[in-house]
Amino acid sequence: MKAFLVAVAMAVVLATAASFLLAENQRFAYQAFATSGARVSDPGTNLVGPRWTGDIKDPGGAGHKPAGHKAEAGS
Amino acid sequence: MRRLTSIALLAATLALTVPAVAQVRAPDGAPNPTASSVNEEMLFKQDPKIHGRISIPNATAANLIQPQGREWREFRESWLPWIGGLVVLGMLAALGLFYFTRGRIRLEHSEESGKKILRFNSFERFSHWMTATCFIILSLSGLNYIFGKRLLMPLIGPEAFATLAQYGKYAHIYLAWPFMLGVLFMLVLWIKDNIPGKIDWIWLKQGGGLLGDAHPSAGRFNAGQKMVFWMVVGFGLAMGATGIMMIFPFAATDINGMQIMQVIHSLIGVVFIAGILAHIYIGSLGMEGAYDAMGSGEVDLAWAKVHHDLWVKEQQAKTASGPQLGRGQVPAE
Repeated sequence: MKAFLVAVAMAVVLATAASFLLAENQRFAYQAFATSGARVSDPGTNLVGPRWTGDIKDPGGAGHKPAGHKAEAGS
Repeated sequence: MRRLTSIALLAATLALTVPAVAQVRAPDGAPNPTASSVNEEMLFKQDPKIHGRISIPNATAANLIQPQGREWREFRESWLPWIGGLVVLGMLAALGLFYFTRGRIRLEHSEESGKKILRFNSFERFSHWMTATCFIILSLSGLNYIFGKRLLMPLIGPEAFATLAQYGKYAHIYLAWPFMLGVLFMLVLWIKDNIPGKIDWIWLKQGGGLLGDAHPSAGRFNAGQKMVFWMVVGFGLAMGATGIMMIFPFAATDINGMQIMQVIHSLIGVVFIAGILAHIYIGSLGMEGAYDAMGSGEVDLAWAKVHHDLWVKEQQAKTASGPQLGRGQVPAE
């Protein structure tokens, strides 16, 4: 039983260490895929909004409108 | 006269070219003016992928069409769930059938002496359990990649499934490392006891004691255990290699290569799960007394003499005082 518990604890420790090491090799999309000529969104948002409606500014509030309305307003 | 000759030549040229133009038609006979323009088929004759030039740092985004992706998706969405389901459920059904026909292999009275012999030391058990616990999480999270959206999502809803799948993905990526380390530990610890020999062939010919009441001779590991060992080492290393190529995308291979890695990873994975199900069965429910070896590390000396007679003799020959025994056990006599 002791060997089992130590094994489980060690697996968790090694997995946690792996998570930190792997995170070192990763960059956010806005860092990895952006240049001065191409910008892929800002940190914390995406191009379709958190509810995938296309409405980034007012995603879930009372003034929520479908993506089509936003496109019309912008055109 | 020269003018007439020129007109005649022009007429003859037109007469020859018009049928050629007329041949470029759609299958239904209608004229097809774009028939000779560049199309997908022509592009694929030049290159297996259709790609262009881009200015963002993500070079892989230049790839527009990759036909192998369609074959991979066909495998991933159509073949793999059936293969995985048949292999895993087939093994469960076979084990169930074996259990209800052969029953649990009980300890015989002659296998209980009350004296214990150390079969696996602490580090061996640690290595086994670290690999085993990781394997169980890796299996469940791996099966979730195949079956989750089909079986689990309808039950718990898309929000809960998304959260579960996300954490499952984290577990799969991170626990892969202690799993691979455990496989390497076990390879180093047990390779010397798992070299196949003539005794294994005899063991196999006698059905390993599973099919009858005979107990064929075996060393520290019998032929069945050796097969499990080499399966774990072989499949474990293959899963590790293919998995690393997917954890670090495009580091070692392109998109075609990663799709091939995913196919290999998933096919080995489901066979691996089926094999380990059999291992878990025989190490717990299937054979009384077998779990103690990896549970406490100690087995009954009489049981060891029945199932691993050559190993017991080897231990007895090593030393009469039994330095391999810990915590005041009785040495193997």
